[in-house]
This record gives sequence, C-alpha cells and structure tokens, in this order.
Amino acid sequence: MSILNLPLEFTGAPHNCGRHSPQNTFSSSHAQLSIMTVFSLIIINKAGGLIYQREFQPGLRKLSTNDYLVLAGTFHGVHAITRTITPRLPLQNTASPVVASPGTNAPTTSGYSYPNPGVPASGLEYLETEKFRLTCFQTLTGTKFLLFTDPMTGSVETVMNKIYELYADYVMKNPFYQLEMPVRCEAFDRHLAAWLRGRT
Amino acid sequence: MSYYFTILSPTDTPIFNIAFGTSKGGGDGIARFRFPDTAQYMNQFIIHSSLDIVEEAQWTNGGMYLKHVDTYPPAAAYISAFLTPSGARFLLLHQPPQLPNSNTGSLGSSSLLGPGGSTTRASSSSIAANPTSPQTEEAVRQFMNEIYESFVKTAMSPFYKQGMEIRSPVFRTKVTAAGKKWL
Amino acid sequence: MAAPRHSAMLSISNNVGTPQSTSSDKTQIAQPQSPAQTPGLRVPSNRKTIYDRHLNRSRNAELSRASFAYLFAEMVTYAQRRVTGIQDLEKRLNEQGYPLGLRLLDLLFYRATSTSSSALSSSSTSSSPPNRPLRILALLHLIHGPLWRLLFQRSADALEHSVSPDTPNEYMITDNDPLVNTYISVPREMSMLNCAAYIAGVIEGVCDGCGFEAKVSAHNQPTEMWPSRTVFLVRFGDTVMEREKVLERQGVK
Repeated sequence: MSILNLPLEFTGAPHNCGRHSPQNTFSSSHAQLSIMTVFSLIIINKAGGLIYQREFQPGLRKLSTNDYLVLAGTFHGVHAITRTITPRLPLQNTASPVVASPGTNAPTTSGYSYPNPGVPASGLEYLETEKFRLTCFQTLTGTKFLLFTDPMTGSVETVMNKIYELYADYVMKNPFYQLEMPVRCEAFDRHLAAWLRGRT
Repeated sequence: MSYYFTILSPTDTPIFNIAFGTSKGGGDGIARFRFPDTAQYMNQFIIHSSLDIVEEAQWTNGGMYLKHVDTYPPAAAYISAFLTPSGARFLLLHQPPQLPNSNTGSLGSSSLLGPGGSTTRASSSSIAANPTSPQTEEAVRQFMNEIYESFVKTAMSPFYKQGMEIRSPVFRTKVTAAGKKWL
Repeated sequence: MAAPRHSAMLSISNNVGTPQSTSSDKTQIAQPQSPAQTPGLRVPSNRKTIYDRHLNRSRNAELSRASFAYLFAEMVTYAQRRVTGIQDLEKRLNEQGYPLGLRLLDLLFYRATSTSSSALSSSSTSSSPPNRPLRILALLHLIHGPLWRLLFQRSADALEHSVSPDTPNEYMITDNDPLVNTYISVPREMSMLNCAAYIAGVIEGVCDGCGFEAKVSAHNQPTEMWPSRTVFLVRFGDTVMEREKVLERQGVK
C-alpha cells in the first residue's frame, strides 16, 4: 500500500487554508481541510479487473498501469477472503425437525448465523493507516469502489454515494460503455472532478 | 343534404372515405347523391379535382380550416377543406338535396325520396338549405375539429405510419357520430 | 385461450388512465351498431379504446429522466448494429426521430386548439386557433419555442440564420445541453458523432410535415461552459426557398 506518498505540507498547504473556514486556529482549519480530502478512486469490476483509476490530488506517487492492475486483482482476492472468514456464530436453538431430515446438509449451514443477522457477509470495508483510509463499497452487481481518503475524513459515506450515483448516471446510462470494460466516459470524469472540486 | 368525406394523405392517397346523409331535421343519416349508385366515383372525381385549389389556398391561408374552397355547379357539390399541420387533408363534399322541380331528369330512386328530401330541407333551415351560410361553415368547422381529434389519436398510434389507410372501425364510428352531431 | 390473456393485457394498459371521455362517446362505442363489430376487432374489456382517451391527459405528466436515458441508450445501441460508419449511425438515429416529428406536429396543434390558450404563442400573433406555419421564420419559431417546450420543457437556446450569402437556406438552432446527450460520452475515436442526430430527425419530421423539405443535422460545438452544446443545422430545399420568395412578394406572413 505504497500508493500514497503524502507530503505533510500538502494538507497544510497555504492555498487551501482559509478558503472555507472563518476559523483561524491551526487545528480547526486543519480539521476543516481533512474533511474534504479525497486522494484517489479505483473501480474494480466483478471479475477483479481494474476498470477505473484516478487521482484527485497532486503529489501522489504514480504507479505503473501494471501495478494498478495487480493492486486491483490483489484487493479483489483479499476482499473475497475477508468475506469467507467472516465469523459464524452457532445458533442456540437448532430447529430439530429440519435437522432431523436426513440426506441434506442443511443442518450444517443453518446451524450458524452471522454476527449481524439478516446482513450478508460483506468482506473488507475499511482499511486504515496513519496516512490514509481505504473505503470499499461493493454494489449489488459486484462492482467495487475503492476510495482513498485522509484518515480524518468524516463523510466518506456521502462521497461514496455521490460517486456511485455519478457512476450510475454517466457510466451505466452511456450507450458506448461496455459492461465490465474499462470506464472511458468523459462526462463521468468531468462531473466527478467538478463535484469533488465543489466540495474541496 | 348528403355528404362525402375523405381524408387524403400528404401524397394524395385517400386514406379514409365515408358517405353519409344529414341527421338534422329528421334526416335518417343516409346519403342520397344525385348520381346513381353506380356512379359514386363522381364524388371522388369532384373531391380530387378540388385539390389544386386547396393547394393554392394552403399557402395563403395559415388556418387549419380553409372553409368552403370549391364548388362544382353541375352537381351542386360544395367542397370544404381542413388541413392538418402534418399535411393530411380532410375534404368534405356536401350536396344539398335536389329540388323537387328539377327532379324530372333524375333517377327513380331519388324521385321516390322527393317528398322526404323536401321536408328535410324545409325543417333544417340552417345547414341544409344553404351550403355557404355562416352556420354551415361553423357546423363543418366543429365537425372537422372533432375528426381532427380522432385523427391525431390515430396518428399517435405506434402502429400507424403516415399515409397508411385508416381501417379502424372505431374511427369510422367516431366520424359517423361527429356527422350525426354537427351535420 | 387468447381472449382472457388479451383482456388482462389491456386492462393493464387501461387502468392507468382515468375514465373521462364524455358519456355520449361511450354509448356510441358500446352500441353494437355499424362496423364496430367487425370480426377480428378486439376491444378492451372495459370498451375503452385509444379513441376514448383524452389527448391532454398526459399533457403535464412528467417522465422519468432515468427511464428515458436507458431507453435512449438502448436505441443508440440498437442503431449501432451493423452500421458502416458514423454517418450511417447518425442517419439511423435521424430516421428514428423523423416519425416522431410528424406525430408531434399534429399533437402540438391539437393541444393548442383544444385549450385555446397560448401554448403555441410564438413570436407571431397567434389567436386562439393557431396557424400553420407558412414562412420559414414562423416554422423555426415553432420549433424553437413550442416544440422544444413540449419535448424538454424549455425553449431552445438560440436561433440563427447563416451569415454566408452562399447559403441563405441554412438556419441554426442551438441547444446548450441537449437532454438526449446528458449521460452520453462519445468515445474519442467517434468524436464526430452527436447522438442528438435523433433530435435532428425530429426537427426534420416537423419541417417535412409542414411542407418545408429540409435536411437537418446535429453538430458538436462545445464551449467551456457547455461541453455538450449542439447546433442543429437546418438546410431547406430549393423548392422551399423559391416558394419563400413568392410568398414574400405576396406579402404572406
């Protein structure tokens, strides 16, 4: 995870200071800034292929295309593993008539439930380090959005929802986009950049 | 009064025809033209011959209803025209019933109807008597507007293409009803 | 076997509408007189055909923009099959829009007459019965204003006449952000393509329907502020220009 080579002076860069906050104290302006910082976005298709990658801040270390592909594939695998290792809790009251029915392996599977019943196992959702936080959002069709943000960032949820919305609008409604293929939609890039700029 | 109504596509193909008589003043709604039944094509001749005049009037009068555009005196046939914006033309030929005194040379079928025709003419003062009176124009306008509504509904159908014959029996019923109501 | 299925199908399509045709119309249909009983004619179970539904019912109804976007995306994909090039694709989109233009024309005038309000109030002095456009300018105002409002709920952004003396038959209608192109990003290798060729087809249908033979094409003219700005170039035929001169001499407006 060495994509983010984040120089410290960047977050405190003077041109970002005071743009938003009337507060003058260093700490508060720092907090204000970090709310907005989105470093980069990666979209992985359901087969684990990289279909979109973009940086939103200058000064990030560049990876080669191949490295990005490897990163996407690796994350996809890790995500699948985390989903399968979700702990399963044994059920207290095993419904005896169901268990009694022979010849099926229903008892073994229905004998457990996930810690949060009703919610399917989702896999890795956050990965946090000193310098950044990775948020993963998986759509119902298996597409994964990886968002790299500042660890102090508050409303990742909002950002993620908006990105998903833009993706649904400008990628999925584009007749020239082929499913599971790399995203080359100029309108998506434009609106994504414009929206993030509007926030930062 | 007898009517012959036809719709022509922008390329002059007839897409709908109907003949009917007046229902006003005790009329029975059956067309009785001055031609024998074997010569009904005369109506079509007369209507189509008025197309030149319609096409001339089309570019000087911006209205959709062009009123009475042409008369064919030998048959006492009056033509009123209505243009849809998309180029279809509604043409209505109306022919007042034959006067009893000129009945001599006509055919047996219409002379039999002589008395009936004269009462119709006498009782329905406004429309039948004078094909060019303002009342008639107004009645024809109302009739045309009603047809136009049905025509737009036909044209909006995804299965209808411009220039296709209108075969819907419901459309025909609508036209008959409009004729009964206004003419 | 077919009958119940059919009636079920029609009831779906009909229970959307509210019953509001006049009672006299209904009795006309219901009576088994006249050719309404043609064999093979299938009437909905509630005896309401398209002729019994009011044309203004959906006048102020709103459509889902997303549904339209998906539909249009499929239309483009469909048109893209076995095309030989960008021009061919634009031609197909144009052909898809053309019949829509013819239909909209009639609907537009019908709605203007039936409400007798100023739905068609272009620059010309339109009294309650609207006039068919006789001159080019009246037609273009019809497209720029009422037609655009019917389709997109706003007027087009500009209407210009070609400044070149060689092409007096060329007019331009500008839309800063065509609705059909909202979600479309054209790949770089097809950068000449503009999917608003569909709208160009609609305009062409309207022009042809009014008796103004014309060719309409859509062109990209992006600006900094409006990246999908589109210019619809309307080229009228020679016969139209000749007639225009005659009408001008006659003082027809």
